Amino acid sequence: MAADPQLKAKVEELIAENPVLLFMKGTPDAPRCGFSMRVVQVLQALDVQYGAIDVLPALQPLREVTSELSDWQTFPQLYVKGELVGGCDIVEEMLDSGELAELLGVEQPEVEVPEADRILPGGSQTSPPMQLG
Amino acid sequence: MADLAELKGMIEAALPGAEVEVVDEGGGDHLRASVTSEQFEGLSRIDQHRLVRAAVRERFEDGSIHALSIRTSTP
Repeated sequence: MAADPQLKAKVEELIAENPVLLFMKGTPDAPRCGFSMRVVQVLQALDVQYGAIDVLPALQPLREVTSELSDWQTFPQLYVKGELVGGCDIVEEMLDSGELAELLGVEQPEVEVPEADRILPGGSQTSPPMQLG
Repeated sequence: MADLAELKGMIEAALPGAEVEVVDEGGGDHLRASVTSEQFEGLSRIDQHRLVRAAVRERFEDGSIHALSIRTSTP
């Protein structure tokens, strides 16, 4: 079935307006699918700002739209600078390789530290930052 | 229920010479395909995945596959 032209125009507009845009099942705070959750975690690890669209209220119409726009039918879908980068597999692979950080223009995060081991803001200052020069 | 051997054959037919492995990650409809092909050379990851997906599209459309994880690489 052909995509709804109005919805397609809206999606094109959103992709153009948001340099980093995630189509996902659920919301970043309450993902409704494990794959969507994993992409949210990647974006959080990279500390980038992104727009998020919950596809569940219009799943089939949006599938038809992204099928026409990007030849891709499944969600999540991450768009960067107007281009589909990929779904969960690709996004995780590109996080690991450093390609995603490069594409987004951010620093590659350090190896993930479990929440409990993170230094709290304003916390321990026992090891002063290294002085250069 | 997906036929793993058939899917492997479909990918191999679309990407001659490719090394293909298709495994069931549970339930018969959540699958993982690992594909190594010279034809991926110079393509973005999304385009590599598009080639693999296109090869098995029919099986998505008829509902025999629900989810397919893809890993692509070049030899």
